[in-house]
Amino acid sequence: MPVLGSDAAVHDSVVCDRREPSPGIVVIGCSAPRLAPYVQPGQFVMAILPGGERVATALGVYEAVADRLSLMLVVVGSRTRELASLVIGAPLALLGPLGNGFDRSTLGRNVALVAGGVGVAPLLLLARDLRASGTRVTLFYGARTSAALVDADRFSALGVEVVLATDDGSRGYHGYVTELLERSGGHDGIAACGPTPMLREVARIADSCGVRAQLSLEETFACGVGACWGCVVPLDRSSLQAPPFPPFAEGERRTYVHARICKEGPVFWAHELRW
Amino acid sequence: MGARVALVAAPPSEPDLSTSLGGLRLSVPTLMGSGCYGSGEEYASAVDLAKLGGIVLKSVTRLPRLGNSAPRLVPVASGLLNAIGLQNPGIDFYLAHDVAKFAGRPCAIVGSVAGFSVDDFGYVTERLAARDEIDAIELNISCPNVAHEGETFACDPALAAAATRVARAATRKPLIVKLSPNVTDIAAIARVVEDAGADALAVINTVRGMSIDVDAVTPRLGNESGGLSGAAIRPIAVLAVWEVARAVRIPILGQGGIETARDALEFILAGARAVSIGTGNFTDPRAPLAVADGIRAYLVKRKVATIGEIVGAANPGFLGAR
Repeated sequence: MPVLGSDAAVHDSVVCDRREPSPGIVVIGCSAPRLAPYVQPGQFVMAILPGGERVATALGVYEAVADRLSLMLVVVGSRTRELASLVIGAPLALLGPLGNGFDRSTLGRNVALVAGGVGVAPLLLLARDLRASGTRVTLFYGARTSAALVDADRFSALGVEVVLATDDGSRGYHGYVTELLERSGGHDGIAACGPTPMLREVARIADSCGVRAQLSLEETFACGVGACWGCVVPLDRSSLQAPPFPPFAEGERRTYVHARICKEGPVFWAHELRW
Repeated sequence: MGARVALVAAPPSEPDLSTSLGGLRLSVPTLMGSGCYGSGEEYASAVDLAKLGGIVLKSVTRLPRLGNSAPRLVPVASGLLNAIGLQNPGIDFYLAHDVAKFAGRPCAIVGSVAGFSVDDFGYVTERLAARDEIDAIELNISCPNVAHEGETFACDPALAAAATRVARAATRKPLIVKLSPNVTDIAAIARVVEDAGADALAVINTVRGMSIDVDAVTPRLGNESGGLSGAAIRPIAVLAVWEVARAVRIPILGQGGIETARDALEFILAGARAVSIGTGNFTDPRAPLAVADGIRAYLVKRKVATIGEIVGAANPGFLGAR
């Protein structure tokens, strides 16, 4: 993936909006005039809570309009609970923009977006940009329950065709969203974000259709900037030939290297992953 | 401490935060911990590196290392478990591509050397220390996250001394040896490392730990066990500095869960001449700047002119020089 966006910096932001579209899923809006305009679809920020003792939390940027951006999070632990409980006016520092986002230029004229749960978040900016260039976009959006399918109307409003699925059948197709993707066909490119099992299935389907897929991977980050090498995924050896990755050693038999998800990703080509 | 030439006269209220670690001069007493700051450039756009005392680079080994399988990180209560496994491109590639980044460096640069044999420590130290861009060497004899013989060096007095001796013979640059807390008597190890020729000691590396996913019924880390860092280990580290400061005369680099100036001051008062901030950067990349500012404010409030005056001030058995 090409390096997109500007250099990362720490931005002192303030929570200016907060909504809870579903219990446990919170969207917080932040004023960030020197950050929001530079965020590329698929990039993320590290949300730095005041008070210390907690490693910052990586969150994909959901919306970015003028001087504001928003972050969607699901409450899973103490850090996300604390973030979710921030009130309007609360300070929140953001380190970003970080990572390599989606490569729009290679997705073609008929694009499938595949979202699992809050993995829908980084796809909204991508959908906006794709639609702005007249690209036909279909969103395959799955979640466990109807309640966990949030903000699908924001995609519809952009002219995106939205196809829904739930694990319990409470809304849309009863089953995995990847089953719908497999039956659809005709897409030039796929971009996906969601749980790892879903992404693996997207990779398999893309491969079987001869379509290239871009997958946004999720992992626990510590630094978010490529310094700690804590978030890695095996990537095909041939796709990482530049420093800091050394060339093949003589007689080396390994076919993969450990790429940093925060630095070389978080968006990777599915066909380059060796997971 | 040697004479310090002031290019610009400091106002009387501005305390002197400069310090030294066995010949390594630091403008402020804050180093970035090895493995937490990459090669420095990763943070360059977010943090003014000129405001740091220095950066301890990620450890390098003789041969390239793939590192451990994912997951490598598990956030735990007040800390972070990690098992990276010394992923690095090996000393040859490292010298060709990474070290050159520090021409015109903004702060002190300390190279970190890891190894799997006594000979490794000598070889990699010699290669790395030969570069002008490297001001000092930290000997990582205490990595807990490699399958065999990583931490062994810091846990066996004879091996710790042997690794230190070969590194000492390989360079005249300041040599800092990083000790492990995973020993019965850290002071005893500190003494033999001092005798073997170390210029300073880094106290401490991570504390061994594990987290188990009770739903998956398996350890969370790919490497199963890992090293615990962050606020959770701070009291362990402060005590280790306290004990080492009563056992050796060489300077101590204190580290383990430092996030604020008051955290850093605990280490300095226990006997550390400088501190390292590692995991604290992940809490907030601006933490090192706040630590330096807070130490300065502490000295001003107490009308203390130099940081050296408070080193070991809480430790009646402190043996080192101030």
